[in-house]
Amino acid sequence: MNDKKLTTEPEHTKKMEDSSNSRRTFFKRFGLIGAAAATGGAAIYTGFEYEVSKPNHDFVKVLTADNKLVEVPRDQIKNLTMDLTRKQQQGRDGLAGRRWVMVIDLAKCRNARKCITACQGAHHLRPYEYHINTLVMQESENTAPYYMPKPCQHCDNPPCVAVCPVDATFKRQDGIVLIDNERCIGCRFCVAACPYSARMFHWEEPLQVEADNGVTYDIELNVPQKKGTISKCLFSADRLREGKLPYCVSSCPNGVYYFGDENQDAVTNGTTKETFRLSQLLKDNGGYHLMPELGTKPRVYYLPPKNRLFEFNGEGDKVVEQG
Amino acid sequence: MKISYLLTAIISLVTLQVSAQEWVVPAEKSASLSPFAFSDSTRKAGGDLYNLNCKSCHGDPGKNNAVKLVPMPPDPASAQLQGNSDGAMFHKVAEGRGLMPAFKNTLSASDLWRVVSFIRGFNEKYVQEVAQKLSLGTSLENVKFAINWNNELNQLQVTVTALKALTRQPVPGAEMKLSVRRYFGNLQVDGVHTTDNQGVAVFNFPKGLPGDSLGFVQLQLKPVDETAFGEIKVDTTMAIGVPTYRPPLNKERAMWNVVGKTPIWLLLTYLITVLTVWGLIVYVMLQLRAIYKSGEEDDSRSKSKVE
Repeated sequence: MNDKKLTTEPEHTKKMEDSSNSRRTFFKRFGLIGAAAATGGAAIYTGFEYEVSKPNHDFVKVLTADNKLVEVPRDQIKNLTMDLTRKQQQGRDGLAGRRWVMVIDLAKCRNARKCITACQGAHHLRPYEYHINTLVMQESENTAPYYMPKPCQHCDNPPCVAVCPVDATFKRQDGIVLIDNERCIGCRFCVAACPYSARMFHWEEPLQVEADNGVTYDIELNVPQKKGTISKCLFSADRLREGKLPYCVSSCPNGVYYFGDENQDAVTNGTTKETFRLSQLLKDNGGYHLMPELGTKPRVYYLPPKNRLFEFNGEGDKVVEQG
Repeated sequence: MKISYLLTAIISLVTLQVSAQEWVVPAEKSASLSPFAFSDSTRKAGGDLYNLNCKSCHGDPGKNNAVKLVPMPPDPASAQLQGNSDGAMFHKVAEGRGLMPAFKNTLSASDLWRVVSFIRGFNEKYVQEVAQKLSLGTSLENVKFAINWNNELNQLQVTVTALKALTRQPVPGAEMKLSVRRYFGNLQVDGVHTTDNQGVAVFNFPKGLPGDSLGFVQLQLKPVDETAFGEIKVDTTMAIGVPTYRPPLNKERAMWNVVGKTPIWLLLTYLITVLTVWGLIVYVMLQLRAIYKSGEEDDSRSKSKVE
């Protein structure tokens, strides 16, 4: 028993010693590990800081809004997304102090159809969905036929806007008639009201419906397009904001289109980029409106197909290019 | 006999075809040379311009990835394109033909030469010949342009001077062009004018040309021959346009405008109609109530009489 006691007592004290010993070692170890962790952490942090702050010479070329090509470091780029509300607001407001006007010279159109493809590309349309189309015209049996590109006329007295029951289509201060596909209910009153047949209806799912999934809707581009709503020519409102000519105007190879600001009395040819005085151009060439008797006051002028530089080969020649 | 006719016809047809495809550049244009030596910096600037304006059709030089058009846009590194003289290349880019757009109104002469310098970078055998500075009778040093407005004559006086023997002297015979900045490009006014012996050229400012709301217009004065003068131009703003303010197109009340801009006549017609109809309904209801009430009174009177 005694023996046992003798043996147990030291064991007990040993335990006590052990425990006190372990606390001491614990603190010792804790101190060591803590110091090591702090040093390691600091090292990792400084490494991270360096990694973040070190000059990165990987540059990206960026085209600024005022059409300048600049280089910015790749790591400095921040992705900004225009939210829907802001886009809708600026789309409704339009550009102050402008009155856009288009002049189409029928003498030069030879049905190259570049305007149509450029437009369809920009607005994600199928080859048979048109914002602009070139029609074959012949006034009477004895007069010469000609090609007539026909976009939306962006009337100053738009019948389509007057009939819209939900304020989805509207006229802006710069004269452009736009459609808000977010508001459009697809009643097609505007299609019936438009005397120029400028509007189209999305009967089927739009062309790039899957690719456009998640893209913020742009009221000035009508992209993504929406099934069951109206779409039409927008005078490329998104391009005008950037100071660029509309898609159709700049893609014409034959110099058919002029576009400009009526307030500045100037229009620029999309092919040659030459600028003319609007009033002089219309006066010299006998410019006219389509169906002026309707009182719609279009913003698109036509120059008659006089002194044509090429032969009209009838409807057979779908793609004729200057050579 | 017939065969020889046929042969001549075929030969003439073939030659016609060839001449139709050939792009003839006037000899003096073909012989023109760049005013500056091509260097890495001009090639880099030219490359940026190429990527912006040419790449979408011509593709990357040397990679034969041009867009398949008819006719095919040639690769800038190809022998077909490098076979052109510097002047011919400049002329073709400036003037354009068919599907190839003209760049004379979008790029300055110096920028066009930078593009040529970029294209020449893909030709190892190329050795550049730089133009001698054109003299115009004097050696042009430190050329300066000035614009003055003559209010009485509605004219702009342009003065061209240069340093000669350390004194500022007029430059005669300099062809100048003046343009007004518009939204999509510059509107050239009153053609090209040549400076006289006093180094002065006079431009008639077109009547009725709109300026901003205060009549300010941005003017740009440039020499026609940028090769001789270099990249000198004067940009200035003068209040010589017609002050123009036109209200926004959606400002007026109209049938098509938003609810807040309803035409007064429509608003009045609508309100009067609605109020009349409702007034009539209310009037009829009141009358019915009066009849009902008078009936009740009659009833109570007859009842009290009976009692």
